[in-house]
Amino acid sequence: MKQRILSLSNLKISIGNTTFKNPIWVASGTFGYGTEAPDLIDVNTLGAIVTKSITRQPREGNPPPRIVETPSGMINSIGLANIGVEKYIKEMLPVYKDFSTKIIMNIAGTDIDEYVEILELMEKISTNIAGYEINISCPNVKKGGMEFGVDSEMTAKLTEELRKRTDRLIIMKLSPNVSDIVSIGKAAENAGADAVSAINTVVGMSINAKTAKSNIFTTYGGLSGPAIKPVGLAAVNKLYNKLSIPIIGMGGIVSSTDVAEYILAGATAVQVGTANFRNPGTGENIIDLISSYIKESNWKSSVEMIGKVQTYN
Amino acid sequence: MLIERVNIISNEEVAHNIWQMSFEAPEIISEYKGPGQFINILVEDSWSHPLRRPMSIASAKNGKISIIYKIFGDVTDILSKKLPNDNIEILGPLGNTFTNWNVDCYPILVGGGVGIPPLLNLKSECENYNIDHSIVIGARNATEHFMTHEPENDIILTTDDGSFGELGTVMNPIDRIIKEKNSPYIFACGPEPMLVAIRDYALKNGIPAQLSVESYMGCGVGLCQGCIISKNNKSQKDNSYHEQYSLVCLDGPIYEAEDIKFEQS
Repeated sequence: MKQRILSLSNLKISIGNTTFKNPIWVASGTFGYGTEAPDLIDVNTLGAIVTKSITRQPREGNPPPRIVETPSGMINSIGLANIGVEKYIKEMLPVYKDFSTKIIMNIAGTDIDEYVEILELMEKISTNIAGYEINISCPNVKKGGMEFGVDSEMTAKLTEELRKRTDRLIIMKLSPNVSDIVSIGKAAENAGADAVSAINTVVGMSINAKTAKSNIFTTYGGLSGPAIKPVGLAAVNKLYNKLSIPIIGMGGIVSSTDVAEYILAGATAVQVGTANFRNPGTGENIIDLISSYIKESNWKSSVEMIGKVQTYN
Repeated sequence: MLIERVNIISNEEVAHNIWQMSFEAPEIISEYKGPGQFINILVEDSWSHPLRRPMSIASAKNGKISIIYKIFGDVTDILSKKLPNDNIEILGPLGNTFTNWNVDCYPILVGGGVGIPPLLNLKSECENYNIDHSIVIGARNATEHFMTHEPENDIILTTDDGSFGELGTVMNPIDRIIKEKNSPYIFACGPEPMLVAIRDYALKNGIPAQLSVESYMGCGVGLCQGCIISKNNKSQKDNSYHEQYSLVCLDGPIYEAEDIKFEQS
């Protein structure tokens, strides 16, 4: 056990005031609340678990069909199904006491007051949550925070209001479905965010030509998986070039090679998402592999690799 | 629940576009609980098809599992091209099982389309326990059937076009058997229109029925929240957080008929 920790020392990272044992996290909406992970994996190996989005009130989510496979990806429209913050506090937080991985709570709201209210409820109690990832980019609910995610001013205002109320990490989760992701990232940084995460899913559609029906109840859903990796890498690299806060990269990560690419593009940490659906142990499996990769490629650490992609200009 | 890479023993077409595959899966079998459970198959290691495919277990004995599948699209086509000694990766066993089939009742096993495997599995359990039962299998036409029509042995096949077995749907033989037998209990799996008809019949006539439902699944382990079915009542199942929906992968795939609603009914 001790040996393993030593061998993975090249993976330690810091974001704001918080250190993480490694940069391999699992993405919101792909790992439940972190409490119901199947017994076939050890969640405590992960750098962090980002919970599914928690809203002020419980949400049933969208009617079926909610998911469909697409070439090298999938579209989902779950619609932020979750138990609501009060039940989350009562039922999930106690379970985290036994965790040695960090928990990042993902929050979604329909207006600034709602985000603030959820955060205040959390800040009132004693928890070992490391921080908050703020979902301003879910494509699948009306008013699902999307109006924040496409607007720099609203993003800045929301970030500022949350920043006033917590010393815990604030990570703003950015949407790729915008004309200029960098300006929104910059707005979050200027308003006091500790980090940004990118990207949320890409708006997509899937049609069954035999039945002439949409494969998703809400018509449009969020595309994820390897199909969007190039979109994620470009977003991370653009953000890295203009922001000074850490970027948490995601979109189609299934292997340690993908992680290396994201770190080279500028990510300090990454989140494994859709791959958890194929194998919930994907993140756990990648940790040792990326540590070995770093050593074999003569990097000192993952931190040394950040943003070191060689470009032609 | 575990992930096991398994060696294929056989993979053969048993009816038009319907294939049967068996493989050695000793680890998964060690956790197997009974007929109705399913496995989630990774057909290829590449990521062109990211999601596993859930398939009901048709038999699980002597360290071997068999499945029966219909060629539906790219992934099942790839599966049908696998040869003995090739390997695939399986996650399982998943889901709940049929219950009470061995408790003071006359089980009527009803299967249709790709919903036959769990009923064949249950049939073989009934035989193991010497439980008197009937099985009714429906199909559109003769080419989709791979069993023989043996009414004298309580094996009844139906076809929509009358090309084999009894003409019509499974509902006629079900109704006949229910009128003949004491304490009938229906166990069914098949296409949604068939399950809707069985559910309506069962509720109307006060016959207990367990339905194994199909749902598009992302993960099979409760993480993606994709495979929902509407609950008929607000009963709280163990693993579904919501009043309106139940997660088929964790709380199903088998439900009492009165506990669920189908979208088309």
